[in-house]
Amino acid sequence: MSQRRDDRYTFDGLPLNPVRPGTSLLVTGPVLSGAREMGLRLLCSSDADGGTVLVATDKDATTMLEDFERHGGVLDRERVRVIDCAQESGDLPEDSVSTVSTPADLTGIGIEYSGQYESTYASGYTRVRTGIITLTPLLVYSDDVRAVYRFLNTITGRIGTADGLGICVLDPNAHEEQVVESVAQFFDGRVDVRADRGALDLRVTGLRDQPTNWTPVGT
Amino acid sequence: MSDSPTVLCAQPDASERAETADVLADAGLAVEEVESVGTLTTALDRSVDCVVTAFDLPDGDGFDVVDAVRSVNPACVVILYTEHAPSDLPRGGPEQVVEYVPRMVPESRERLADVAAMAAAEVTQAAYPVPETETERLAAVQQYDVDQLAAIDAFDRLTALMTSHFDIDVAFVGLMDEHEERFVACEGANWRTLSREDAICTHTILSDETMVVEDTHEDPRFAEVDALKQLDIRSYAGVRITDKQGNAIGAVCCTDGEPRRYTQTELDDLQRFADEVEEQLLLRRRLQEDA
Repeated sequence: MSQRRDDRYTFDGLPLNPVRPGTSLLVTGPVLSGAREMGLRLLCSSDADGGTVLVATDKDATTMLEDFERHGGVLDRERVRVIDCAQESGDLPEDSVSTVSTPADLTGIGIEYSGQYESTYASGYTRVRTGIITLTPLLVYSDDVRAVYRFLNTITGRIGTADGLGICVLDPNAHEEQVVESVAQFFDGRVDVRADRGALDLRVTGLRDQPTNWTPVGT
Repeated sequence: MSDSPTVLCAQPDASERAETADVLADAGLAVEEVESVGTLTTALDRSVDCVVTAFDLPDGDGFDVVDAVRSVNPACVVILYTEHAPSDLPRGGPEQVVEYVPRMVPESRERLADVAAMAAAEVTQAAYPVPETETERLAAVQQYDVDQLAAIDAFDRLTALMTSHFDIDVAFVGLMDEHEERFVACEGANWRTLSREDAICTHTILSDETMVVEDTHEDPRFAEVDALKQLDIRSYAGVRITDKQGNAIGAVCCTDGEPRRYTQTELDDLQRFADEVEEQLLLRRRLQEDA
């Protein structure tokens, strides 16, 4: 059996308490003014055995990695891996990046994700943070939202059983409210983000011991 | 009968399959071996918790396995265990999302056993959201005998009253089991069951708020669900019913073939009908426990 870890995931520089392994969080807010940045910051790990697998749906892998680094991520190709489904990639570097031709290919994304997760794990980075940035193209490109539900059950299931951490970003303004509410059901908690004159605030629902009122986020 | 999660292991080569099966069994799983899509299809039933499959099989491939599994057991976890790199696999359809464990990494069988054991016990690949307390909820639903409840006139009287009160096509009381909604009473149609991924009540049981869908064609969660079109469900209002521990066991609902709005008074009335059903069910449980 896999080694069960009790170590909670921490978030340096963010007004959040550690969360238990296996947690998946939905980050909601305007993508261009806060939610995307928050998602990337939640994925930064200072753990010696920490890895990150990013599913990039709204920007290509190169841009995603640059953004990740700008928000505090350390670019070590052994421990940071990307599934690029943004259809923009030209020369793709190495084994640490996989491509899927369209965000509609949920089966392909799921398999590439598992493959990169296993590579990260096999390299000894067993505390894996998974990011889907963002969920919007997956929902928009899918004719039937039930395919996205199955994808989310599969991904959050792996995160839960492997004691990982899941971070998925969604702009609620891009979808019908019922869809946002139903997608939120797949997550243990929700981090709402807003930008106020350039400064970010967050609040959390669904998890204990987290700020439930709007709380300023330091830079 | 074993309490261990059940896994079907599909690999064409007998010795490789036996080795994989041994490792899965060591991880505490009850394993049944099959060598092809055909034999897997024969062995499949709803008691299977997980399917581990090679990609290349003599009579098909891993995605044929996914299709076979989904048609019998839609929430069952399927794990592709293959030497093919992800980029070498053909692309499946959007409904064929699976787990994947590569055979080319060191100690891949042990890693597979890890993933399969966890997945079989704790994960679903269902195409719908599942309540957080699903295990307890299912145990609560199993306390009720739907066939026995269906023979009770009180539920028929209530649903008949609902159709005339709300002037709707169909009113029903349904209990949500692991795979489908089973109708205890259904006035206006002769529905017996509806698969969970097609049922609007799948969403109703997630919240204590009344679920209203004024027009299924305009709601992205239901616009592509063919079963709702076949059943002529264009509008819906439903309230979940719980047992005394708070487990959501099912729902009391109204449907109509036309788009429809519900006033607050109507929704309050629907809540009262649901309260009545809940009370009836509690009473039946108490009588059963006392017997």
